[in-house]
Amino acid sequence: MWNDCKSIVLSKMCVIVFLILLAGLAVTAPLLTDKLILISRSDFNGTKAYFLLTVYTGIVPAGFLLVSLYRLLERMKSGQVFIAKNVGSLRQISWCCFTGAVICLISAFYYFPWALVGVAAAFMGLIVRVVKNVFARAVSLQDDADYTI
Amino acid sequence: MSIIVNLDVMMAKRKISSGELAEKIGISQANLSILKTGKAKAIRFTTLAAICKALDCQPGDILEYKTDR
Repeated sequence: MWNDCKSIVLSKMCVIVFLILLAGLAVTAPLLTDKLILISRSDFNGTKAYFLLTVYTGIVPAGFLLVSLYRLLERMKSGQVFIAKNVGSLRQISWCCFTGAVICLISAFYYFPWALVGVAAAFMGLIVRVVKNVFARAVSLQDDADYTI
Repeated sequence: MSIIVNLDVMMAKRKISSGELAEKIGISQANLSILKTGKAKAIRFTTLAAICKALDCQPGDILEYKTDR
């Protein structure tokens, strides 16, 4: 029977898969960039270094995001949901999204489709930020409930 | 503005321990401690009624209003 616990386990497994993919990207970025330049119809002369710079600088906030997400899920699995640490994790996740968005928007100067990724990342950061605000309010309500005798 | 809980005073007058009072009113000693130390943010009427019954007193005997100056 499907339940919250199994849902959290599934989410954690997905985060681990993404972490593995991110590690794979870090290792294979030069190869993938060469393939992209080869198959693309656009003129990518002299942009390989820029692609690699975008990917490797983007990997840092992406890695922090996934680690924060994993820690958040660990705490939720142990029953700690509306706590200040989780609000902190959501704040970190939103800032990782915004950092990724800035990297992508800057990269749009040499390859425009990065702008679309940047906008998507910024939008996701905004959604996570609103969720963080909701969690912060919930922490306050939980506190009131815990201290109502 | 704050509400002071003078539970200690009334417990001393009635010569009742925290453990006994907690058992009589049906809350844990930890929650009773939260009440006594002024960390509680709210109290249910049912809890207040149970305390008053156990200590044979009025709400005003254990709750006091003080302005912050």
